Amino acid sequence: MDRNKMSYKVSQFLTFAGVSTILFCGVVVLPFIYGLYLTFTSWDGVSLEKPFVGLENYTAAFADSTFWAALGRTVIYSVIAVILINIVAFLLAYMVTSGVKGQNFFRAGFFIPNLIGGIVLGYVWQFVFSRAFPAIGLPRLLGTTEAGAMFALIMVSVWQYAGYMMLIYVAGFMSVSKSLMEAAQIDGCTPSQSTWYVTVPLMRASFVQCLFLSITRCFMVYDVNLSLTKGEPAGKSVMAAMHVYNQAFTYKNYGTGQAQALILFIVCAIVGVTQVYVGKRGEVAA
Amino acid sequence: MRKTVFAAVMAVALVGAASVTAMAADTSITIFNSKMEIQSQLEEMAAEYSAEKGVDVEVYYSSDTVAAHMSTRYASNEPYTISMVDAKDIYSLAPDHGIDLSDQDWVKDTTQAISIGDAVYGFPVCVEARGIIYNKTAIEDTLGEEFDPASCATYDGFVEVLNALKENGMDTPVGIMKEDWSLAAHYLAEVYETREDPAGFIASLHDGAKIIEDERFNVLMDTFDLLKENNYAADAPVAAVREDTELYLAEGEIAFMFGGNWDWSVLAEFDPEGEMGMMPIPQNDDNYNTKLVGGGSKYFFIDNSDNTTDEQRQAAKDFLNWLVYDEEGQSFLVDTCALVPAYSNITLEVTDPLGQSVKGYADAGALVDNYNYLPDDHYAKVGANMQEYLAGDVDREGFADLIDAYWAATTPSES
Repeated sequence: MDRNKMSYKVSQFLTFAGVSTILFCGVVVLPFIYGLYLTFTSWDGVSLEKPFVGLENYTAAFADSTFWAALGRTVIYSVIAVILINIVAFLLAYMVTSGVKGQNFFRAGFFIPNLIGGIVLGYVWQFVFSRAFPAIGLPRLLGTTEAGAMFALIMVSVWQYAGYMMLIYVAGFMSVSKSLMEAAQIDGCTPSQSTWYVTVPLMRASFVQCLFLSITRCFMVYDVNLSLTKGEPAGKSVMAAMHVYNQAFTYKNYGTGQAQALILFIVCAIVGVTQVYVGKRGEVAA
Repeated sequence: MRKTVFAAVMAVALVGAASVTAMAADTSITIFNSKMEIQSQLEEMAAEYSAEKGVDVEVYYSSDTVAAHMSTRYASNEPYTISMVDAKDIYSLAPDHGIDLSDQDWVKDTTQAISIGDAVYGFPVCVEARGIIYNKTAIEDTLGEEFDPASCATYDGFVEVLNALKENGMDTPVGIMKEDWSLAAHYLAEVYETREDPAGFIASLHDGAKIIEDERFNVLMDTFDLLKENNYAADAPVAAVREDTELYLAEGEIAFMFGGNWDWSVLAEFDPEGEMGMMPIPQNDDNYNTKLVGGGSKYFFIDNSDNTTDEQRQAAKDFLNWLVYDEEGQSFLVDTCALVPAYSNITLEVTDPLGQSVKGYADAGALVDNYNYLPDDHYAKVGANMQEYLAGDVDREGFADLIDAYWAATTPSES
């Protein structure tokens, strides 16, 4: 059989990747293209007609100041949440790989918040913030100020994702060979110096991965936003994804919502790809 | 060999599945319910109805907003046979997706059905109205005298009652729901509704009229300010939890709350025997301080798409007729679900006290009609502005400017 023949290559490809390619096209590529088409119509989400309106939705999307406010808010939220998530996750990982007693128990414990769905988690914390906090004399965070609501959202996100990112950092810690640490210590490093100068640079891949995951998740946050703050007070905690959903399904401007979703996607993709590119460039191999 | 066995098993399974479907009820219909408080009653009824009539009825509920849920169902081409939606959704959905019901008997027995052009699309499920809910027992226990809601008709009368309550130890007699729909779609909407020509007024706002110069706006906002001053959650009004507010009202810690007869389902959980009632919003305007605002609420429409067969549509029509004309159906609406019926032929006594109030006003012709043509984003956008007003972040002029800005940027729906 001629292995350079096109038909051979195609059949090999289909054998191994056919099903996933079809599924990927069916659930990602086609809806994406259809969504793109809808941004050029003034469809309201339910009517049978989809009148073509050209670039009107994009003009409307760019002119929508509440969308940009929501996007700006999402950027602030993401920056703070991503930094905190990764600091907390790294410290937790450091702790549970340092040989603490019962470290497997801790690993499981810190990971559990991630297993609770975002909606449930939001309601649980809503209870904590609106009942437990005032009861012990802490200020009300929800329904009072924008800063309070943002703080609540960030806190819950950190609690939710830190355990997940911790697992990736744990894997990073474990992948660095003990012999390198020992060599460094023989050369005169203190244990903390050997962690900082030897282990951390070798874990760069974990950092890149964790940052990518936390950035994309924070940018797309919706479930916690919905169940924890519902955008209150006065729409000042509406994040970009929630705004897109409201625009498309609640205000029935499907096209405009879809156009804004596309803008959100592009922003998210640029940030994510840049971050991975910059991160990968400096990666060191052990 | 393995493949053949697998294929055989699949074939048997397929045939089995097909025959099971054929053996079940001849027709099956789906109902979308958007009144959370009657979901379990509907499910029980559906089971009985299925057993009795041989029509399989499935009831669905979604915690999403009605419009959003219907959008996703129609976007995925999976309509319900019968959908319960809000009035405004009938206008947006039914001309494309509903069937004309004007040949149905119940049309002549209700004044609340929704027609567009010559066609009747919306079957009214019940009558609901908005006003101030009062806890009679709590007021009488605090004041030590009989309470007559008519004494609260005017602003000054209401101030007197509130002051008397405060003197007798009820420091904050009022609760305000901070939900955007309650503020903008229910309270503020009365500014549009309580006048001769709501559509004309809204059109004038769109054309640049200032709402701050409107008398009805100022009259209702005066009362809103009074409610605000006496709000139990005045220090953090937008953090007030709905269940808490209703609990305080039921327990008599507060005496008044703006709401509607649907709140009974929540109040009854805390105090099912409570002596409560509804009264119009107190105001210095004799045209409107004797009337509640409301009318038909929640409408059924029947899907017209190819996903629904004619048999299913007939079964759906039969079901609606059963609700209006069969004794069991009537009893289901009034006794089981505690709804105020929208049909003049149903004479069953309404069971809950708020519903009785509403029925009283409705029978006396003292209901101001709902205005069903507010744009979809009105409650969310203006509701957010009204939350700012409730929290004291903007004053009345500032709030009025925000409403003006909303209408300047929004084309009113045709009515």
